[in-house]
Amino acid sequence: MFLRRALPYVLSLPALLVCIGILVPFFTAAYYSLQRYNLAMPGSREFVWFGQYLDLLSDPDFWVTVRVSATYAITTVGLELLLGLGIALLLHERTRFNNIVSIALLLPLMTAPAIASLMWKLMTNPNFGVLSWLIAQVGIHDFRWASAPGSAMFTVVLVDIWVYTPFMMVLLLAGLRSLPPQPFEAARLDGVAPHFVFFRITLPMLAPYIVTATLFRLLDSIQQFDIVYAMTQGGPGDSLMLFQVRAYLDFFQYTNVGTSAALMVVLWAITYLLSHVFIKQWLRLRERTHGNS
Amino acid sequence: MAIAKILRALALSLVLAFFLFPIVWILLMSFQTNEEILRLPPSTFFRPTLGNYIALISGHLETAAGELDITFLHNLWNSILLSTSSVALALLLGVPAAYAFARFRFRLGEDIAFTMLSFRFAPPLLVLLPLSLYFQDLGLNDTYLGLIWVYQLICLPLILWIVRGYFEDASPDIEYAYRIDGHSWWRAFTRIAVPLAGPGIAAAGLLSFIFAWNNFVFALILASADKQPVTVGALAFVTASGIQYGQIAAAIVLSILPTLALALYAQRWLVEGLSLGAVKG
Amino acid sequence: MHDKIQDLATAFCNGRLGRRELVRRLAGLGLALGSVETLLNAAATRAMAADFDWKKHKGTSLRLLLNKHPYADAMIADLANFKALTGMEVTYDIFPEDVYFDKVTAALSSRSTQYDVFMTGAYQTWQYGPAGWLVDFNDYLKDPAKTAPNYGWDDILPNLRASTAWSGKPGAALGGPGAHQWAVPWGFELNNLSYNQTIFDKLKLTPPRNMEELMAVAAKITKDAGGPYGIGVRGSRSWATIHPGFLSAYSNYGQRDFTMSGGKLKAAMNTPESKAFHKLWVQMIQESGPKNWATYTWYQVGTDLGAGASGMIYDADILGYFMNGGDNRERGHLAYAPIAANPAASGPTSNVWIWSLAMSNFSRQKDAGWTFIQWASGTDHLLFGARKNDVVNPVRNTVWQDAEFKERIAKSYPGYLNQYDKTAPDAKIYFTPQPLFFNLTTEWAASLQRMVAREVSVDEGLDKLADSVNRQLHQAGIG
Repeated sequence: MFLRRALPYVLSLPALLVCIGILVPFFTAAYYSLQRYNLAMPGSREFVWFGQYLDLLSDPDFWVTVRVSATYAITTVGLELLLGLGIALLLHERTRFNNIVSIALLLPLMTAPAIASLMWKLMTNPNFGVLSWLIAQVGIHDFRWASAPGSAMFTVVLVDIWVYTPFMMVLLLAGLRSLPPQPFEAARLDGVAPHFVFFRITLPMLAPYIVTATLFRLLDSIQQFDIVYAMTQGGPGDSLMLFQVRAYLDFFQYTNVGTSAALMVVLWAITYLLSHVFIKQWLRLRERTHGNS
Repeated sequence: MAIAKILRALALSLVLAFFLFPIVWILLMSFQTNEEILRLPPSTFFRPTLGNYIALISGHLETAAGELDITFLHNLWNSILLSTSSVALALLLGVPAAYAFARFRFRLGEDIAFTMLSFRFAPPLLVLLPLSLYFQDLGLNDTYLGLIWVYQLICLPLILWIVRGYFEDASPDIEYAYRIDGHSWWRAFTRIAVPLAGPGIAAAGLLSFIFAWNNFVFALILASADKQPVTVGALAFVTASGIQYGQIAAAIVLSILPTLALALYAQRWLVEGLSLGAVKG
Repeated sequence: MHDKIQDLATAFCNGRLGRRELVRRLAGLGLALGSVETLLNAAATRAMAADFDWKKHKGTSLRLLLNKHPYADAMIADLANFKALTGMEVTYDIFPEDVYFDKVTAALSSRSTQYDVFMTGAYQTWQYGPAGWLVDFNDYLKDPAKTAPNYGWDDILPNLRASTAWSGKPGAALGGPGAHQWAVPWGFELNNLSYNQTIFDKLKLTPPRNMEELMAVAAKITKDAGGPYGIGVRGSRSWATIHPGFLSAYSNYGQRDFTMSGGKLKAAMNTPESKAFHKLWVQMIQESGPKNWATYTWYQVGTDLGAGASGMIYDADILGYFMNGGDNRERGHLAYAPIAANPAASGPTSNVWIWSLAMSNFSRQKDAGWTFIQWASGTDHLLFGARKNDVVNPVRNTVWQDAEFKERIAKSYPGYLNQYDKTAPDAKIYFTPQPLFFNLTTEWAASLQRMVAREVSVDEGLDKLADSVNRQLHQAGIG
């Protein structure tokens, strides 16, 4: 009997232990965040409790970062969800062609964003870029892509969509194909209009998948670094200074360990809260769909 | 109906054009010299050269600033080693854990599950630096083992979460029946539960493989040059004397191939496997 | 056979044998020219060994952390000679430039004992030095037991030696009293004009000599060259946007980044003269700069010049140097000229980037590490690098006087030696050393981006920048 009660712990413990090792550095970093600590000024290192956090809250640049990160995350995830869902609906039928197409669409996900961004930077270069050339053919001559404040966000969002929509698509496609056929057949027999079927049957049943996919994407997106840093280094101005970009610069270029850690802890708290909310939703939705079936 | 069909075909073409155009363009660039790449209007007709691939594979490249030694194949090997071992370890650890969370309601179970998921969302920069200090002390710095451990941050939560959903949706009745026949719990797990969850495991494995493959920062900070993956290796073509776009393109093509092969092989399970509830339907 | 070759090589080194004669005789022995060069250096290396115990650390194994760069390539090509000279073993880790300093910062901040010697820029030592990660070379340079008598420290250009030494006191002059020699200069870059001779010929242009002419010529190219734009400069959100052409021109107007008063730093970017200069620079980019300027790093600036997309660049001379070779479309068409932005200035004031060698304080074999640095920054190796590889610009006077090196440059790089001669005397680091260098200079670049994008006027932008900089200096307790 004891063995039976211990079993789940025995099964999950190794995984947990492996992760716990990573927890130690996490606490070290949290400890750094309570200090004014610039590696280049070892003499002025001091413990300031939550002083760094208070500084952050009163720093307008921090709020720019919050706003830019939120805009980035919401825009990319929102568009990727719509697009991913649309593509999943197009590929809904289980045919060989559709399967091959869905694998082909995974290709952008397989190119590492850090390297793919180099290629996007080339393709959007006004002197040699094929995209710049293409839009010039349709009469747009002075588009400055990632280098103008007005279009920088658009450009990096475009690259993010290109890389990560496939991830959304494949999760949603999987969800769509696993839906039980009965409700759809019933609706067809009753002659229910297609849009009604979509909003009243497909979407609600797909909800747990949408939540999972959105959660994974949202939490990745709010931590975006590779694409934005490779394309614009956070510029022009402060227009793309996302959390991770700022924290990266703070640590690796400015050797300001304290500020960097404080920023990261704030980011981690945001992701923790978000995932908590989402997982509550997910569990609730799963209970409901399980209850239905 | 015909209109709907045409619209569908049109929509699909647009989607394919957007997502595959850059890929096709990269493929074309990988057969061009830098001089051909850097011109407008773009070279649609060019004499394809295998020079970029030859340079990558032979490990030598002539540039404006002399000979460039390339360790690309070694980088590729590192990527394969790191991604494969990490995913294998994550499966070994994650699948039983996922099963536990799916089958048993136990004290703190949900909390443990959530904690593990939240690792997926720890900003890597946050843990990396202290980690490099501790690795130094533990002797894990600059070892494959240390890297594979850190890669669990990427692989384990993803596998755990996807496979768990899969186990939850698979009916436990078959397992119960098998166990009533007198088989041990372990046999029921390995003979019934895992095979049933096979597609889910394959799909989760593939996705975490892709994410591990694309990772960049862990090896850079924690290991020396001979343990760097392709993502870092491809940056070697950004040289003081210019960016070797042709080689980068070829490097992207070569670095996609293993993942693509894996995806094609797992094609049947990939979509089914992510469908958390496929068995139920 | 081998002895015979060595005899010939030694004879050549001692001046008993002419070069042509040497090659002829060696050819008789069945040797091609390529192997001659390495041999010669080996002979020179043996000469160097005369009065210093190079074998002292025989058997020691050093590990280097290197940036993927022609200087590193040249060093590796010559490494066999070092091994032969010292009996030491050397291994190295090379990382791409894009991520190189991340790797260095990570290795040093984690107090890794893995690397003994690494490449660094001078600015980086303003962090690494005060952080306690670097060895002060003064102790080694003054110790005859550790430094070879013919090392020739004084032969290294004095401005470069000073620029890599700092006391660590924010605002204190580089190379001033109490300065620690945090690094040894290895190769450096001047910031001047590199231009496309073909375009200049076509439009009958001559190289501009100051800011006014620069803007006029750039505008003319943009208008009349039929495609290429006028002037390439960096513009990405990085300190690296400020340090090349921009700061060189800025300093030429007598402007500074900070002023010191009462031991405190104060931002000096918003003086009326500075504002006037910023207006010119911003206007130049808006009128004749690259369209995607705000994403432009070293690579894009160079690529455009090499591919014929820009008429000239105001950036590192060695960037123009590299673009004149390889598989660049404009190879062989580039030329070089000095520029003094301020018409009233007596000559150019180029800010410099100095690739240097530094030693990790966590190294367990510092004496052996210093032996390596002496060799790598010594006259013999640098001569080898400058003659046979792309070690431009060399940091030693001797190398600049070397006929073979000068001949090679004069032949393929028109105007290069001239721009060096005109610029070198006043070339040094014009930034004020202080621990927030990267932070504040990056902010400067971000501010410049806003001005170019017309999000803010130059006057307002600079006032805001100065406020922000002063606030941060104050917070850090140095302003």
